[in-house]
Amino acid sequence: MKRKKLTSLVVRCILYALVALFLFWSIKNHYYDYIFTNSSTFLLLLRQHLSLVLVSSLLAIVIAVPMGILITRKSFRRAEWVVSNTVNFGQTIPSLAVLALMISILGIGFKTAVFALFIYSLLPIYRNTVAGIDSIDENLLDAAKGMGMTRVQILFKMELPNAAYSILAGIRTAIVLNIGTAALAYVVGGGGLGVWIFTGIQLFDNGYLISGAIPVTLLAVGVDFGLRLLENKLISKGIRATVES
Amino acid sequence: MAIMISLALILSSCSSIGVGEKRISVGGKNFTEQYLLSEMTAFLLEEEGFKVKQMNNLGSTVVRKALENNQVDLMWEYTGTALITYMKQDPIADPDKTFEKVKDLDAKNDIHWMNMSKVNNTYALAMTKEKAEELDIHSISDLGEYINDHPDELTIASDAEFANRQDGLPGVEKKYGFDFGAQNINQMDIGLTQRALDKGQVDVSVAFETDATIRAYGLVTLEDDKQFFPPYRAAVSVNKEVLKKYPEVEEITGRLAEKLDSEIMRELNYKVDIEGNSVSVVAYEWLVDNGMIEE
Repeated sequence: MKRKKLTSLVVRCILYALVALFLFWSIKNHYYDYIFTNSSTFLLLLRQHLSLVLVSSLLAIVIAVPMGILITRKSFRRAEWVVSNTVNFGQTIPSLAVLALMISILGIGFKTAVFALFIYSLLPIYRNTVAGIDSIDENLLDAAKGMGMTRVQILFKMELPNAAYSILAGIRTAIVLNIGTAALAYVVGGGGLGVWIFTGIQLFDNGYLISGAIPVTLLAVGVDFGLRLLENKLISKGIRATVES
Repeated sequence: MAIMISLALILSSCSSIGVGEKRISVGGKNFTEQYLLSEMTAFLLEEEGFKVKQMNNLGSTVVRKALENNQVDLMWEYTGTALITYMKQDPIADPDKTFEKVKDLDAKNDIHWMNMSKVNNTYALAMTKEKAEELDIHSISDLGEYINDHPDELTIASDAEFANRQDGLPGVEKKYGFDFGAQNINQMDIGLTQRALDKGQVDVSVAFETDATIRAYGLVTLEDDKQFFPPYRAAVSVNKEVLKKYPEVEEITGRLAEKLDSEIMRELNYKVDIEGNSVSVVAYEWLVDNGMIEE
């Protein structure tokens, strides 16, 4: 056990050192200059990136969570394979292809990018919702029924709180993936920080590349951290203890 | 260890098989005209017994870096791009002087320039005919005036390259004294800019002079009345060592350079972009029709 701890400590130290080294190297080479010399553009791109992620993730949550709940009801169980496969399909088409396909329907720009990201985010949220509800102990539900709880009560007082950990984990995965994928929005004129990443690639300019890529990375890491805090707030202590043990 | 050694032996024997074979790599950028040029060059070289490797679909600066690093031996490059973007020089209006200057400056990079064609793929700003007439915009000066009078009204579609290159939009704005504003510049894949314009999602778009979509969509290009855009003649830039090894390359690519001009290029682009033919077929048929390769 002690040895394991030591290894993980060493690995962590090396990782931190590498990150610090990268930061030092990139700052020394003035790779972040564009953020300051071009700050109005940067803020614009950041705002576009955030709205891409926000709108598409919210849409995905609003659609996928109820869909997951609905499909786990007895009367809808039969339709599960249809829905699951449809949602799965959304994830399996490469996101670039979704973008390209949607151009002919939605045109170019923000809407197309949001739609592609939305499709892309459905699967992790839907899957985790279904899995979370399915993993609840039958005996627990029987007990609830025995106490005379209605179906709605069972859903809100038993199933959802118990599945919350899984559902939130799905949402977290979806949003963090979404932040990175949103960089592709440039291709269809959806804006976002991907514009600078692609500028960097096309002009062979590391300044643009890093000024675009690092904020996206930090955004993903930051949002992941924030959502984890939220998770701890939202999930009751008892359930957290069972999941973590 | 034994595996490593045998692997190394296999690999080294592989590379020695190729000895005596004439090998060359041809680079190309990420738009139709460049696919066509590199494909035609490859056909011609293969006809002369070369084994050709194509490295396509790269951004200007990326393929240029590959040429400097000897990963690419030969490519069709535009004189204006080289002069302004790679060499950071001021544009020159005369095509021949531009070519000479580029050739001079690149000599120290061990890159040789030859066979300048009459293909002038300069940048242009395009608008739909209706919109241009409605707003009475015929030249870039008109556009600048309109934007200064009505700020934040017009939007432009551009790829990341043009939107950020000094001989691109920032330069145009400086020379003509106007500013689209960052939020009005829609950056997207270069293949989509004309489509966005055609669908009315933007008012102006960046185009190339040899772009087939201009004709297909009924667009007009704005007159560059202050002559900001320099000539972008397609010419062959080649690694000096490679040329020394295979001097016949100059004559082979010269045959192509001699025949091509902007009009032909626009027609070939049209066949690919609008009629949807494959690059290889269009390139091959044109070469056969012009008697440059045997069927």
